[in-house]
Amino acid sequence: MEQYAGNFLARSVYFGGGTPSLMSVNQVEGLLCWIKKMFTVQSDPEISFEVNPGTVDYGYLADLRRAGINRISLGAQSFRDEELKVLGRHHTSAEAMSVLDSARKAGFDNISLDLIYGIPGQSLDDWHQTLDRAIKMKPEHMSLYCLSLEEGTPLMEGINSGESPLPDPDISADQYETAEDKLGQNGYCQYEISNWARKGRECRHNKVYWRHEPYLGVGVGACSYINNVRRTNVSDIFQYMAACRGPFGAAVKEEEIIEGEVKKAEAVILSLRLNEGVCFEDVYNPAGAGACQHYGQVFNELTGYGLLESDGSLIRLTRKGRLLSNEVFWRLLPD
Amino acid sequence: MDQKLIRNFCIIAHIDHGKSTLADRLIELTGAQRRNKNIDLVMDSMDLERERGITIKAKAVRLNYAVPSGEVFRLNLIDTPGHVDFSYEVSRTLVACEGAVLVIDATQGIQAQTLANIYIAMEHDLEIIPVVNKIDLPGSEPERVLEEIETVLGYKEEEVLFISAKTGEGVEQLLKTIVKKVPPPSGDPELPLRALIFDSHYDDYRGVIAYLRVVDGALNSGQKVQLMGQGTHMEVLDLGYFAPEPRTEEQLRAGEVGYIATGLKSVAECRVGDTVTLTKGGAREPLIGYDLPKPMVFAGIYPAQADEYSDLREAIEKLNLNDASLVFEPESSPILGQGFRCGFLGLLHLDIVVERLEREFSLSLVVTVPGVRFLATKTSGEVITVTSPADYPDPGEIQKVEEPWVKISIITPSNFIGALMEVVQEYEGVYKHTEYMGQFKAIDEAGQRVRLEYEMPLRSMLTSFYDYLKSRSRGYASLDHEFLGYREAKLVKLDVLVNELKVDAFSRIVPPHKAYEVGKAMVAKLKEVIPRQMFKIPVQAAVGGRIVAREDISARRKDVLSKCYGGDITRKRKLLEKQKEGKKKMRMIGRVEVPKEAFLEVMKLN
Repeated sequence: MEQYAGNFLARSVYFGGGTPSLMSVNQVEGLLCWIKKMFTVQSDPEISFEVNPGTVDYGYLADLRRAGINRISLGAQSFRDEELKVLGRHHTSAEAMSVLDSARKAGFDNISLDLIYGIPGQSLDDWHQTLDRAIKMKPEHMSLYCLSLEEGTPLMEGINSGESPLPDPDISADQYETAEDKLGQNGYCQYEISNWARKGRECRHNKVYWRHEPYLGVGVGACSYINNVRRTNVSDIFQYMAACRGPFGAAVKEEEIIEGEVKKAEAVILSLRLNEGVCFEDVYNPAGAGACQHYGQVFNELTGYGLLESDGSLIRLTRKGRLLSNEVFWRLLPD
Repeated sequence: MDQKLIRNFCIIAHIDHGKSTLADRLIELTGAQRRNKNIDLVMDSMDLERERGITIKAKAVRLNYAVPSGEVFRLNLIDTPGHVDFSYEVSRTLVACEGAVLVIDATQGIQAQTLANIYIAMEHDLEIIPVVNKIDLPGSEPERVLEEIETVLGYKEEEVLFISAKTGEGVEQLLKTIVKKVPPPSGDPELPLRALIFDSHYDDYRGVIAYLRVVDGALNSGQKVQLMGQGTHMEVLDLGYFAPEPRTEEQLRAGEVGYIATGLKSVAECRVGDTVTLTKGGAREPLIGYDLPKPMVFAGIYPAQADEYSDLREAIEKLNLNDASLVFEPESSPILGQGFRCGFLGLLHLDIVVERLEREFSLSLVVTVPGVRFLATKTSGEVITVTSPADYPDPGEIQKVEEPWVKISIITPSNFIGALMEVVQEYEGVYKHTEYMGQFKAIDEAGQRVRLEYEMPLRSMLTSFYDYLKSRSRGYASLDHEFLGYREAKLVKLDVLVNELKVDAFSRIVPPHKAYEVGKAMVAKLKEVIPRQMFKIPVQAAVGGRIVAREDISARRKDVLSKCYGGDITRKRKLLEKQKEGKKKMRMIGRVEVPKEAFLEVMKLN
């Protein structure tokens, strides 16, 4: 770990994945202290903390704020209790609203909400309702995710047994477009396929990923991308703890060198997720950073399908292209 | 051997009525082979034959049978294929015999195809010995079956034997009856050589092995001979008989049955039904008119992987060495790639060929919907034959179209008559005749057995007809058919268009009144199996320029990975790589991606 110290400027910190609120505030403070000791941290860094409704109270949030956390990401998921039940969440929409209120009172002025659409049984009207309630609470940032159904989950079993309806992809598409319209009308600006923010409130931390910039992940299952190497830690807590007592790097389960065509493809794909898009030069100029020989042709084809647009200096996904972005992305992969 | 001591006979039986078991028992009783539990059924030599319970190629076995008086008779048992697809081979086998053992299952009774073969045997004046087999089984009804034999075939009770090939009961009596009733061969040993080829196969080392029955004269090893029909010249490299393993001999004389090794490269040079005579001092007249079985059923055979085309070509050519009735020519389809349009004797023949290609040559194949050969007279007066819907002329160019018709014969318990008549009519059958096969002994609750006769287009038989016949009769009905000739037909070509592009592989020839129904089913199926794409795809069925059915596959709107953060990138990239791989396997109709499985499903649709 020490080998990275000093070499990099840390611009953001993110506590998330899993349930970080299980930590005591003292532990959080200790970690932040250690980070500041090990790394050069930019002044006024973004320090986010993921919170699940029903797991924290006002006191905890206030302590977090005092410890230096300045952004809260709240896993609200839905503001309709029956949907929360379908999702297997243990909190209610009232609890989610109350956590947001508490965070405000605790002094947080940068709060993000996670919401889910494409839930079995969720109509377009239901989704409108959740969005309206979310907007009413004025979070600075929103992440909207389409429910992904994985085999083996209780939800999928419910669908396979006919208990729950299979979500209609056309309704999900309508829901997505509704959100685009509604959030836009209410002062939220979309900056990535699934992310919206008030002006200046884009998540600085997450933009690092999409800009293919380096990041260091610490913890079970965490992922780092430094010097063109992507490393993923083991996902078993006991294995991880044992590895921590061993030499540096013992916790790494997978390591992949990202280079050549793959690197270019990843860079272009990730940049295209952002509404700002990718630089025209990078794509068309064979010497450019993201250039692959066949990109020119692929971009023309995709523009023809109405999935991409360009203003001459930047290329970006169209509204249709965002919903069909996989059709764009797989074509950008090297053969 | 004295010609008077020779008996040449075959066994006529329906599938699973016990022909192979009986052959095995006869061989065992005459001591030609010790009973071997591992090779129970020696007559069925191909794996495929054994598995499907059918006999594809006729073989001959020589049995020596000593009667109590001390005389030793030589019995030549010639195996016959039982299926109607091979009726030409059956007829030639029967010509090589003087007698036939007719085996009927005591639990089932006379089946349609058996009846057809009996009639051929009668035509050739064979002595027929009716035998009721499987009398050991609990469900057997020998009395009912006897009544059928009496009513339909006109035999008397005392002429019919009751046996169990499985236990051996009555088989000794059958041997005695064969010796007593089947006449000895009548050929003249002093006349110039004439021998009838009743079967052949290709051997990698010795070329074509021909099975023959010497009628007149004698055939010696090393002799130069010729085929009177085809004009092929060859030398008898080797000669002998089977007992049941091959045994070399110096000579085959009038009345005897055996094989010759010819060194020929393909069975096409040595066709069944031709007459062998000596090159010098040969006979003037062949034994019977020599014929070529005509392919009746056509289908395209394509490799599942385009790069296996040359393997497929090699495999078909090799199979053809052994199966002269298989015809093929190269064909290409924009979607299926390069392949062959093949002609077969019937659906079973098609199945066998496809299965052998896949099994013996490890190929994975795509087979198009089987069809018949149409004769189309154009307005210009030119007559063309059409074996692929793709070649069917435009409606405006057609003066008339003819298609092959068959006479079908269905044997069924009377309770199913109503249901079956409905099925046959649905498939364009024209009623001809009903015959009751017994009077009083019908104790079966399904009722007394009846034979129905219809005429119908062969085209109709190639669809789901047989499956329906079986299911509507709870499996009881048996079916036989016989080619009648070509008749004028009212037919149209139904095309399928995907995104405005005509797909040849989906075209079908149908009667006009069915175009709507078939078209609707096909576009519905296509809508189900073609994945949604980035644009709307119209799927249409059309006759000429007229659209008879249409479905739209709406554009796909959503294909997005909504969550993609630091830890997701590798996994998501792998998902995209998989998506890209999947796209490579798609076949293209214009710019529409269609999975191969979708093609097969639509082509299989009946």
